[in-house]
Amino acid sequence: MGFLWTAVRKDLSRLRRDPLSLATSLGIPLVLVTLITLVFGGDQATPQGRLLVADEDGTFVSLALTSAFSRDPLSKMFVMETTAREEGRRRMDRGDASALLIIPKGFQDAVFHNQPAQLQLVTNPAQSILPNIAEETVSIMVDGEFYLQKLATIPLRGIITGQAPADVAIARMSVAFNQLGRSLSKYLNPPLIGLELNITAEKQENQNVAGLFLPAMLFMGLLFVGNSFALDIWREQAWGTLRRLATTPASLAAFLGARLISLALVLSGVALVGVGGMRWFAHVAVASVPLAALWLILSGTAFYLVLVTIAVHASGPRPANVIGNLVVFPLALVGGSFFPFEMMPDWMASIGRYTPNGWAITLFKAFVAGSAHTGDFLIGAGWMAAVGSLLFLITVRRIRKFL
Amino acid sequence: MLEVEQLRKSYGDLIAVESVSFAAQPGEIFGLLGPNGAGKTTTIGCICGLLTPSAGHVKVMGHDVVRDGQAARANLGVVPQEIALFEDLSAHENLAYWGGAQGMRNPKLRERIQEVLELTGLQDRAREPVKQFSGGMKRRLNFACSILHSPKVLLLDEPTVGVDPQSRVRLLDLVRAEARAGTCVLYTTHYMEEAEALCDRLAIMDHGKVIAAGTLAELRSVLAERDLLRLTGVFAPQAARAAMLRIDSVEILHGDESLLLLSLVGASQKLPAIFAALAANGAEVRGTTLTQPSLESLFIKLTGKELRE
Repeated sequence: MGFLWTAVRKDLSRLRRDPLSLATSLGIPLVLVTLITLVFGGDQATPQGRLLVADEDGTFVSLALTSAFSRDPLSKMFVMETTAREEGRRRMDRGDASALLIIPKGFQDAVFHNQPAQLQLVTNPAQSILPNIAEETVSIMVDGEFYLQKLATIPLRGIITGQAPADVAIARMSVAFNQLGRSLSKYLNPPLIGLELNITAEKQENQNVAGLFLPAMLFMGLLFVGNSFALDIWREQAWGTLRRLATTPASLAAFLGARLISLALVLSGVALVGVGGMRWFAHVAVASVPLAALWLILSGTAFYLVLVTIAVHASGPRPANVIGNLVVFPLALVGGSFFPFEMMPDWMASIGRYTPNGWAITLFKAFVAGSAHTGDFLIGAGWMAAVGSLLFLITVRRIRKFL
Repeated sequence: MLEVEQLRKSYGDLIAVESVSFAAQPGEIFGLLGPNGAGKTTTIGCICGLLTPSAGHVKVMGHDVVRDGQAARANLGVVPQEIALFEDLSAHENLAYWGGAQGMRNPKLRERIQEVLELTGLQDRAREPVKQFSGGMKRRLNFACSILHSPKVLLLDEPTVGVDPQSRVRLLDLVRAEARAGTCVLYTTHYMEEAEALCDRLAIMDHGKVIAAGTLAELRSVLAERDLLRLTGVFAPQAARAAMLRIDSVEILHGDESLLLLSLVGASQKLPAIFAALAANGAEVRGTTLTQPSLESLFIKLTGKELRE
């Protein structure tokens, strides 16, 4: 146990003597995000999201309701996808879409017979901009349909049933529109068509592009720091210090354990600044900070274990560097640690969420949004501990062989 | 004490070390001599636990290095052939780390760090990063890190390779001081003069085997008073051999087209006769080296080749 802290002190002293390597690992993502933010023009960026529509009515009116999403500018922001209600809910639980709109069966009948109707909009708490837009759009459409209901129920029913009104009737309709328009204030009572909004957690507000990119930047930083720490084992191998350590009573497990502790301490600082930054830029709730920060630290140490396992299996420091980069960069690109999932093509985002960092960043966003809680953290941490323990043992075993 | 018994280490068909046995006592400096590739470093690797012996036993202060490795290593100090230090840390930080690895804790560790810094003459530079040190200073710190915990057995694997003469003298003094303090020292080298100056007992290794062992006097007696004569030039091997055998007390250790190695008594008096006999056979002598009896000449006698080949 004593050597563990001696080794932690050594690792931290070495970092203190060479802060540039750590600064570089963390600085590259910062520079990239700044550049991307500038390229996308700050708050003017139009990230693309997915709107799931469970249209159980399948009528003229329900199609009219969702038609706004297939026209510019919303069509640039949303990819609309029809799905069944349960499948939609499952996908929302996985964070696969920005929002799910459920149009119940009998919606058109309700509109035409002046009956109350209830739409449901389920939004993704991990996103802020797109669910907001979806919510606003659906609200406007609902209001529009309500007024249409008041103004033109009978003629419309005629059109839909194939009994087109006569010219006289159309002229009468125009007059009626005019009169009803003038007396619109009478209909400001609560509309009969309601929109029920379901959010799985408290909604964030005012998130800008920097806020959208911050999680990606943090996780890219974790990957870079993890890779830099992992490659350092080859530096120790070249210096002969690892070989020398094996001639002492100290265990290699303690050596690797010290690495993990040192990294966790460094990542605590990163988490403090990173999650603090998110609180500043993305108005993250204070209650969300501890779990998000802990998750960040845990993810970083897990990435290190993956990367150090790869590094010690390489045939030398140069191959280790090449292989490390071959792993880190694709993971960063596909796993939402370079471009956020919200900006990726759907197929890529779907794949990316199954990568280790994609999984971790999705949960991180959920912790930040407050939609994931201690239970989710414990399950995630349990998985990481199980896989991490296995990688730890493999690495210690391998270090002994490559001395 | 250190006991090595019938040590064998093989890698598939390649036998690196075969039937190596020796024992070194407290306060003794035991030398392991041999050319590069003789098996010295493999033997050291098996002793300090870096390599697992294929057969045989190694005991450090009675602890088997395989079965009771941690206890054995706690009694060992290893000075590696290459400098093994954290270049970005200071001498003090390096010592603190290696002391911690040996299980030392403050305040004992702090006291001992001061002692070894003074012993190695590094106390004034203790807080500087090691990368600013000269090669000799790094060597001394490398040594200091190994004696910090006052090991019962100290292994030095060619510690003076590439060291300037002044630092070498200082390092050898430090080794002697450790032995005087009762430490059992195992010293490997391919510098014969170093072994002659330092070691109480020696084992000479070649091709993974111990080919001779004993005190310096015992090993010299193997040579008797025979000199070693090394002739280079152009020779007809068979004719040269036949010519040399006609000269009294000459033993041919090695003979080919360009080199002739002879062991003989009173070589300086017999040189004219040797040159005449070779000239009569059409040989052309271009270089002559006469060596008095030494470990070097013993090694050449035993193996037919020079130690540095």
